[in-house]
Amino acid sequence: MRTVEVLFVIIILLGAFVITTQFAVLPSPSQAFGTNLRELSKSTLETLDAQGTLSQTVFTNDTDAWGDLQKAISASLPPNMVYNLSVYDLSADSQGFVSYRLANSISDAGFGADSDAASLLVTSPNVTFTQDPQKVGESTGQNITLYILNCSDANGWWITGYTGQNLATEFYNLLSPYFATTVLINSTSQLGSLLDDTLSVGNIQNAVVINTFGEAVPIPSTYASLYDDDFAEYCYVLGQKVNSYNWTWASIVGYPFYYVTNTDYFYDDDNSWGIYGMEDYNVKQAGLNAFLQGLNDRSYDNDPDDIKAGVNVVYLTSIARENCSYYGIYPSSYHTSSRALDKTVLVDYYGLDANELFVRPQDDPETWSIDESNYIPAATYKNTEGGAFAAVGLTRTPDARVTVLALLMYYHPLVYRSEFGASGTSRLVTLQLGQQGGT
Amino acid sequence: MAGATIDHMISLTILIAALLVAMTTYNGMFATAVDYDRNRQVANKAVDIMNTICLSPGNPVNWGETNASVLGFGLQDPEVGGYVLSPYSIMRLQVSNSSGHDQIVEYPPGSGVFYNNMSGKFGHGIFTPVGDCVDYTNVAELLGINGTYGFRLDLMPTLDVRIEQLDTNPLKLAVEVYGSGLPMSGATLNFHLFHVSDGEGGSPAITTYSDVTQTGPSGAVDIVFSDVTKIGNNDPSYTFTVYVSIGGINGVGYYTHNDLLGDSQYIIPLINNFDDGTVLIAHNWIVDPPAVQYNATFYILTSDFQLIPVPLDYNSTGLLNFGQGKPYYITEIPDSEVGLLVISYRKSAVEMGNVILPWGVGTLGISTSFGGGINSESSTYRFVATELRQVTISGISYQVKVLTWSLRG
Repeated sequence: MRTVEVLFVIIILLGAFVITTQFAVLPSPSQAFGTNLRELSKSTLETLDAQGTLSQTVFTNDTDAWGDLQKAISASLPPNMVYNLSVYDLSADSQGFVSYRLANSISDAGFGADSDAASLLVTSPNVTFTQDPQKVGESTGQNITLYILNCSDANGWWITGYTGQNLATEFYNLLSPYFATTVLINSTSQLGSLLDDTLSVGNIQNAVVINTFGEAVPIPSTYASLYDDDFAEYCYVLGQKVNSYNWTWASIVGYPFYYVTNTDYFYDDDNSWGIYGMEDYNVKQAGLNAFLQGLNDRSYDNDPDDIKAGVNVVYLTSIARENCSYYGIYPSSYHTSSRALDKTVLVDYYGLDANELFVRPQDDPETWSIDESNYIPAATYKNTEGGAFAAVGLTRTPDARVTVLALLMYYHPLVYRSEFGASGTSRLVTLQLGQQGGT
Repeated sequence: MAGATIDHMISLTILIAALLVAMTTYNGMFATAVDYDRNRQVANKAVDIMNTICLSPGNPVNWGETNASVLGFGLQDPEVGGYVLSPYSIMRLQVSNSSGHDQIVEYPPGSGVFYNNMSGKFGHGIFTPVGDCVDYTNVAELLGINGTYGFRLDLMPTLDVRIEQLDTNPLKLAVEVYGSGLPMSGATLNFHLFHVSDGEGGSPAITTYSDVTQTGPSGAVDIVFSDVTKIGNNDPSYTFTVYVSIGGINGVGYYTHNDLLGDSQYIIPLINNFDDGTVLIAHNWIVDPPAVQYNATFYILTSDFQLIPVPLDYNSTGLLNFGQGKPYYITEIPDSEVGLLVISYRKSAVEMGNVILPWGVGTLGISTSFGGGINSESSTYRFVATELRQVTISGISYQVKVLTWSLRG
């Protein structure tokens, strides 16, 4: 009996040993130490398509081209490596579901147990992808006109390296696709017609007006005569017009409304820096305050208080960066702001709603006189009673893309892009690699 | 009683025997598993090193185009991305005395000024001031593996282009293209011949011949230049470069023949400064005859493998004297473009030669190795992991191989 028990013990021990050995299986050497086939496959596909040859080949039935591709793959890979290159045609049905159909395949041998693959989506060289922006205001049934000040009888300040006219061209190129109508205001007298609603080009209500002259604002001669003793009051009138027409007025750089400009009217006056055709008498800081009073429908008072501060380097907000990608506009992610505007005035006092582009800096204890966190480097301010004001308080030279970004963030028109998954335009190429003969 | 004792003794014997067998078996298995784990770590490190080298440009991103100190190592071309390597960053790798097969160059001899020697065939090469190069120890520190892992980086063109001179009157060359040992039929060849001839005022001149052809079914083709012939008994001096394209991969080959006594080049072009692209056109002091007259032109290599000549702003010609007078001239090339600085020279009325500085590693398809020597660094390594990728350098297809081993035994 005991002998039988001993035999049982022996059987149990041997059984446990065999079972344990079965489970203690190490991975195969090729799995553990082999070349990273996926990355090798990916780098091979990228190299083959470096000059677009792979894209051309997979969209053709030319047997010579496929033969060359086969030779190229064989030449690229070590002799002990086998491959299978498959090309899938992408097609989308009416409901947008994408399906993959094998269009072509080349291979040099069968695979063993271990293989890996990478894929590359290639685009037909005969296809051009387009993007079609929605017009600003289209979603709400509005027909919004973009007016760009391109006055030939005005000079700019703080637009170093540019003129108002070539900035106008730049804004036209960047923004006109987003507007149903774009109008260049080519003289100060045309600006007068616009202010008086006698221009009869475009739709004056809800329009966007871009002042390309930096810290100077063009003034029609009729308005210059009218406000000859206090040009800040002209800025007050501009604010009123922005309110009543529900405009969005954009100042592209520096301190807004610091000078008024008209090369005919101020032919003998300069801005104290040698730029003629410009006047700062009774304007300077009072110009912006007057504009805000007009925008906010308050009574006029020539207020020379300085409401700006320099806050040094500022960075785009995450939302602004997202919009950069969405619209394909890429200004630098950081800028120097020397004309950031006081939030306590614009937001707290005037009640404007700020759509900010940059992260406000922290308070710098060394500049004890100001709290940097209270200053807004660039924003579009919406007045609840009507009108809006985009102020980009960055230092010169101006970057038109920042103003464009501010306006697009404010209106946020959609962009319709042609899909890469559209039938016949794209193909998926997979390259499967395997090693023969171990490692 | 005696029966029970015997049973127990037998049981105990069997148990001990089973334990001994199990311990012996599992001990070996555990040892193998530990080895597997260690080797797996090395294999993973090889992938990490390869990814860092191929998929990051380093810091600063344009370190290959400047003399700046390298704060982060990577060879990716920052202007392109993907598996495209910078042709300039590779020029700053100190390959001399680390891979063991290229000797460092001191110029002038005895001066204590040394140049890294990334040499090709026929005396062509990239000679970079050692002080501007990054060495293996520095790179290992930047990769965070100094003292823990060793590595070697091998860069070699995917296509093997072999050229042989068949005849010199007229000049006839045979070009063969191979990939992974296979002859490549139907490959497109963009070829250029730089023929050294008499120029004005005693200076040599370069006449270029360019054309396009294809390889035949055996992957070979013969090219004849009917205008290039012997002059008297003297063979023509020339450099022939051919850029090969097939199915999306590109290669390059070259062949040089100088009609000189001896094999050494009489002129050696040395990179003086990466920032401004200044180059020393220097007399090779190790050859004996005294003076050579030179004429230099830079050729920009375009993306479709055409060569566009760009005259140098200054010192494009000159007389180099041996050891006295002007042993070298400084000139400046358009350093933002890859290309070839072709320097033709004449030693006497009939002896002429030419030498090339490839600006950008891919332009002449130079192979290079960078890193530690497996045998010299550690005698205790047991496993070397190999990682392979395909990349593009200046439009030329290369294979990058990284060998990695542990230095901790």
